[in-house]
Amino acid sequence: MRVVCAAPGGASPPPHAPEFEVAPREGGIVAVCFVAMASPCELLLETADAHAAGEAGRIAAQEAWRIEAKFSRYRPESIVSVINRSRGHAVVVDGETAALIDYAAQCHELSEGLFDITSGVLRRCWTFDGSDRLPEAAAVAALLPLIGFEKVRWQAPRITLPAEMEIDFGGIGKEYAVDRVLGLVAARFAGAALVNFGGDLAANCAPSAAPWQVGVKRPDTEREARLLLELSRGGLATSGDTYRFLLREGVRYGHILDPRSGWPVRDTPRSVTVAAASCVEAGMLATFAMLQGSGAESFLEEQGVRYWCLR
Amino acid sequence: MQLKRPPSPLHLGLMAASCALLSGTARAQSADDAEQPLQIDADLLYYKENAGRVQTIEPVVSLKKDFGDQRLLDGTLTLDSLSGATPNGAIPARTPQTFASPSSTSLIPEPGHKTTLYTIAPGDLPQDPHFKEQRVAGDLDWSQPIGLDNTLSYGGHASTEHDFESVGAHAGLSHDFNEKNTTLSAGVNEEYDRIHAHGGNPVPGSDYMLYEKESSQTKTVTGGLIGVTQVMRRNWLMELNYAYDHSQGYLTDPYRIISVADATGAVTGYRYESRPENRTRQSLYWVNKLALGPTTLDLSYRRGKDSWSIGSDTVDAKLRIDLGSGMYVEPHARWYHQSAADFYNLYLSETAPAPNFMSADPRLAAFAATTLGIKFGVTTGRNGELSLRLEQYEQRPTDQSSALPQLQGLDLNPNLKATIVQLSWHTEY
Repeated sequence: MRVVCAAPGGASPPPHAPEFEVAPREGGIVAVCFVAMASPCELLLETADAHAAGEAGRIAAQEAWRIEAKFSRYRPESIVSVINRSRGHAVVVDGETAALIDYAAQCHELSEGLFDITSGVLRRCWTFDGSDRLPEAAAVAALLPLIGFEKVRWQAPRITLPAEMEIDFGGIGKEYAVDRVLGLVAARFAGAALVNFGGDLAANCAPSAAPWQVGVKRPDTEREARLLLELSRGGLATSGDTYRFLLREGVRYGHILDPRSGWPVRDTPRSVTVAAASCVEAGMLATFAMLQGSGAESFLEEQGVRYWCLR
Repeated sequence: MQLKRPPSPLHLGLMAASCALLSGTARAQSADDAEQPLQIDADLLYYKENAGRVQTIEPVVSLKKDFGDQRLLDGTLTLDSLSGATPNGAIPARTPQTFASPSSTSLIPEPGHKTTLYTIAPGDLPQDPHFKEQRVAGDLDWSQPIGLDNTLSYGGHASTEHDFESVGAHAGLSHDFNEKNTTLSAGVNEEYDRIHAHGGNPVPGSDYMLYEKESSQTKTVTGGLIGVTQVMRRNWLMELNYAYDHSQGYLTDPYRIISVADATGAVTGYRYESRPENRTRQSLYWVNKLALGPTTLDLSYRRGKDSWSIGSDTVDAKLRIDLGSGMYVEPHARWYHQSAADFYNLYLSETAPAPNFMSADPRLAAFAATTLGIKFGVTTGRNGELSLRLEQYEQRPTDQSSALPQLQGLDLNPNLKATIVQLSWHTEY
């Protein structure tokens, strides 16, 4: 069974309709496809029972949409939007949100500040559209006082975000949804399952015939998958800058921004794919590696994980 | 690519965090009861004046505990150890001058009395070589939010030395508004001091040769402060404070004397200094904090004025430059100027009647001072920091000489130079 991942960071599909499709594939696998978090999503199940697959698909899609609605910074009613509108007032959050903020806090600490959920304000001056339009250094510098997770007052269940600062769960949310969906499906469904949300994926076990074959597309072309990986269980995630970069005087500015300087990390790989125990763990390792720039490979070597870097 | 190494500490941390996230909300709920880390600051300050004058070694330990919801307890313990020669206030003379150390109970050696004398060579600045002092000071503060926009803080301090005890209390309230871009704060403080100098407190203004001493004396200080802090722009914070305090009681320095000279400038005697029993001080303090990328600039100006006619100006600038890899360097420059107290004199004239108030304390003279320094800091571990500060201080009095024949060519109030070295360590448990 071959799964082809969408090119990481690819063009966004149209806004999803809350529906999903069930389609049989070769080798006794049933695929459930839907769109969530601006990504094509699929759940692959080893089963002959189309009804059970449909039921699992419904659970998967509803969970993905629930997480998207709850944590998307684009949804005005999401908890993230509520926190971002709080203007310095404390917001009491539920346990799930608290767990995500805790996770973000730990990642901030582990990466010594390189991973920072408050760095999204840099989008106000950085638009990675392939052009040569770099922002003014002063405009970037002016945003720096609004960045820094250490400025956030966080003690579960209460978060206080200084006025004008913002948080988002980019780099966590989709990976979290993949692991959550796999957990829900595996709890109700006996066979092998693989969840793939736009290239970030996780599997509970290998199908009876052979491990899952995962193809990672070459990020800068629409050609055949460049990498073909085998995955039995665990998570696999890719971070890349395929279409999201600026090019000026021969220097490529990728979309991975250093929250300390507000400027893109130099010499990042085009893409980093990491295999780990879960999708969140794989995704965070890939993100950490990108933030290391030219040191991405040596960083991943040190972590003792399976990885594939493309430069 | 095969697994080549065991997981790194970072990877283990990430594995644990990921498991906690995916195992439900266990961690988030337990975080409710989680204790905040204890912050510890340890400082060692070394201060040394030139020409064998005072040196201080001052260790300071400060503990800060967050009990959650911004309820903070902050305690500081300071130990001071001063030693070295200290100017006694008298001017240099053409003849040798002999003084008694303050602990002496009599100027003349006699049975039942303790007398320690020291003699100063002609032309030298009279300094007491036996000066030694130790001080222990403690400070405890509590602050907590009241509602969403107010913070209440209160605390107390106490210190003790061989010849001085001080206790005080303070309370403050701050209010945030305008989306927390503006903070108004107000505070009051009260201090009570007891002064019991070695060998007794001299009678202010009395003739040194009479050696008249009194029992212990007291003074009180009552003060208040109002301030406003404003976020001007995203990278610019401004603060303006006005402070007022009133001191009442024994404000005289019990160890300080003033020379009496005749019409030729020859020193004929000394008096204990005498200061008014009231002093009102006001100050206006304006601070700007600017973030210029990872570099930050602190720029402040302070204007002070008191009822003894001392007016002062301070301009202070600190530039913190981020060097990457958790290191920074912070150059510091400070300029200070003050006018003299209206009862300040280098010496008294024998021919004029003795004034009610008199002092030759160089700290009450007109002078300009500059401080130039640099600080290096490096982060250690998770939230730790180690820093080293080196500073050079120089004080230049406006009046240093006299035209009287006997005093010509003598430096009556020499420049003061001091070196400051401070080692600081911050950590969290």
